[in-house]
Amino acid sequence: MSRPGRDDAPDRLYTITGGRSGAGPDNPFDLVTLVVAESEPATGMQSEHAAILRLAEFPVSVVEVAAELRLPVSITKILLGDLLVAGRVSARHPHRPAITDPDILEQVLVGLRNL
Amino acid sequence: MTAPTHPGDRPSLRRLAPTIALTAVVSALAVVAAVTAAPHSVRVPLALGGSAAALLLCAAVTWAVHAGRAARGARRRLETVSQDIGRLLQQQARTTEEARQEQQRLIDELAQQRSEFADSFEQERARIHQDSSQELDWYRQENTRLAAGLERANRERASAIAAASNAAGRMQALATATLADLRAMEERHTGEDVLADLLHLDHRTAQAGRLADSIAVLTGARSGRRWARPISMESILRGAMGRISGYRRVRVHSVSEAAVAGHAAEGVMHALAELLDNAANFSPPTAEVHVYVEEVPSGVIVSVEDSGLVMGDVQLRRAEQAVAGDTSGLGGLTGTRLGLAVVGRLAAKHGLKVSFRPSARGGTGVLMLVPQDLLARPVAEEPALPNGTPSPEPVPAQADPVHESAEPDDAATEDEDADGPTGLPRRRRGRTLAEAERKAAHQPAEPRPAPAAEDARVRAARFNSFRQAVRPAGPDSDAGSEAHGTSGAADETARYAPAPTHDPVPAPHPESDPKAPSHQHAYPEGDTTS
Repeated sequence: MSRPGRDDAPDRLYTITGGRSGAGPDNPFDLVTLVVAESEPATGMQSEHAAILRLAEFPVSVVEVAAELRLPVSITKILLGDLLVAGRVSARHPHRPAITDPDILEQVLVGLRNL
Repeated sequence: MTAPTHPGDRPSLRRLAPTIALTAVVSALAVVAAVTAAPHSVRVPLALGGSAAALLLCAAVTWAVHAGRAARGARRRLETVSQDIGRLLQQQARTTEEARQEQQRLIDELAQQRSEFADSFEQERARIHQDSSQELDWYRQENTRLAAGLERANRERASAIAAASNAAGRMQALATATLADLRAMEERHTGEDVLADLLHLDHRTAQAGRLADSIAVLTGARSGRRWARPISMESILRGAMGRISGYRRVRVHSVSEAAVAGHAAEGVMHALAELLDNAANFSPPTAEVHVYVEEVPSGVIVSVEDSGLVMGDVQLRRAEQAVAGDTSGLGGLTGTRLGLAVVGRLAAKHGLKVSFRPSARGGTGVLMLVPQDLLARPVAEEPALPNGTPSPEPVPAQADPVHESAEPDDAATEDEDADGPTGLPRRRRGRTLAEAERKAAHQPAEPRPAPAAEDARVRAARFNSFRQAVRPAGPDSDAGSEAHGTSGAADETARYAPAPTHDPVPAPHPESDPKAPSHQHAYPEGDTTS
């Protein structure tokens, strides 16, 4: 949640996505999809796209991308979808979750919340 | 006689003839008688002497008669002349008298007329004086009345403008707070339908905010928002696009790395929004509006080209005049076309130069020059660049002269402030997050400047959005069900998702507290200008 303050960016979300509010049904990204950049940022590219390409130099999850960009995940998915269509990123799902035990997850969540 | 004689004065010989003849006869008789009576001896001498005497007598009688007559004529003439002289004298005297009388009469008349004139002049003067004093009184009253009216009109105008300005400021604050709320909701609700609705509301609110900004600019209120850091040209353009209805038709062609200094960013954005709105409104609803950004030595030129109506000469001149900023009053406003007047005000305020020309696309092109002194190098975008990655050309000397020069010892105090008791960054007014990042970025050879407050903040934000992203992965989201391996975890986290709303642990930072409704800080924000 961003506070209304002096440091907000003037961009509205709908201008970042060109008016699209949701990814299409063929958008393959979910929260934990790993994204890897396939190319360098090019000049004239939208700054979010360039930022994603820089972030995704090594595999990074969609959630992390969204957090780094400080954008909602839905918006991030749209941007990633653009890049995927353009062939600038590739996406893959993790083979299996690293942690499957719900207790550990819960402990992590509580610990993080108390941070 | 020496005096000239009149022909009648000299006795003519004919009138003397009877006298001469009578004398001659008488003397001839006397001579004859004497001769007859005398003896013969003396007769001859006697005849001779008698004849001579007779002749002499005749001559003497003639001369005497003549002289007498001449004297009589002369006396008569003298009398005539004397009478003439007397008459002339009388006449002269009479004439003199008449002249004197006439003169006197004229003098009297003149004096009378003069007095009359003086009287009438005096009356006239008095009348005029009275009239003029009346008129002067009237004018004075009228002047007083008009001055009072003007005073009242000025007061009403000032209060109306103040009211409008105040209302616009509150509208701005409301719009800003609403936009922030909407942004927060957009972060919170990931359902695509909800997000679409929120974005729609966001767009509408942004347009309403632009209208409030326009009124604020026209009424001389302070501009809506102040950005504490330079805003990149891309964000400027997108911010401008976000405030117009037809933003989907705007195509931006920009590779500019420039950024607009924070104090001018809002004005540039607003002016661009008005120009874009004009271009979009005066072109066919399907035509695109193209925006080109070009860096020139004197600044950055933003050109807005539409393919709509070509402005005529009169319209061009009027538009140029409107954006020249010389419309000192509000009299030229027509109610529906505030845009160019707003642009003019903003151009005059920030030193922007706006000009119009026919566009190669068939419509009108608008050039806006953002002068060099409003520009700053873009700072590293905090979410875009992970820690330590410098921007391609970090030129700190040009970065945002306002903050650099105003607070030279900013860094020291900021470092002291940064590590507060909570370890979270404490931002003061005018302190930019971006600057802190930039300073962190310039620390050499430290890929992750370890305990920087900003890092903690980023981590908190990342975790926050992770949690937000995870939470609604419930029944309405397809995120968790796609991948086989993650479905279990997603369900588990979905079960824990409502937990934060009942979390008794007080949140250390408002940004990590999802429960805090954004309305709570909306009202303080809204009251800042009221």
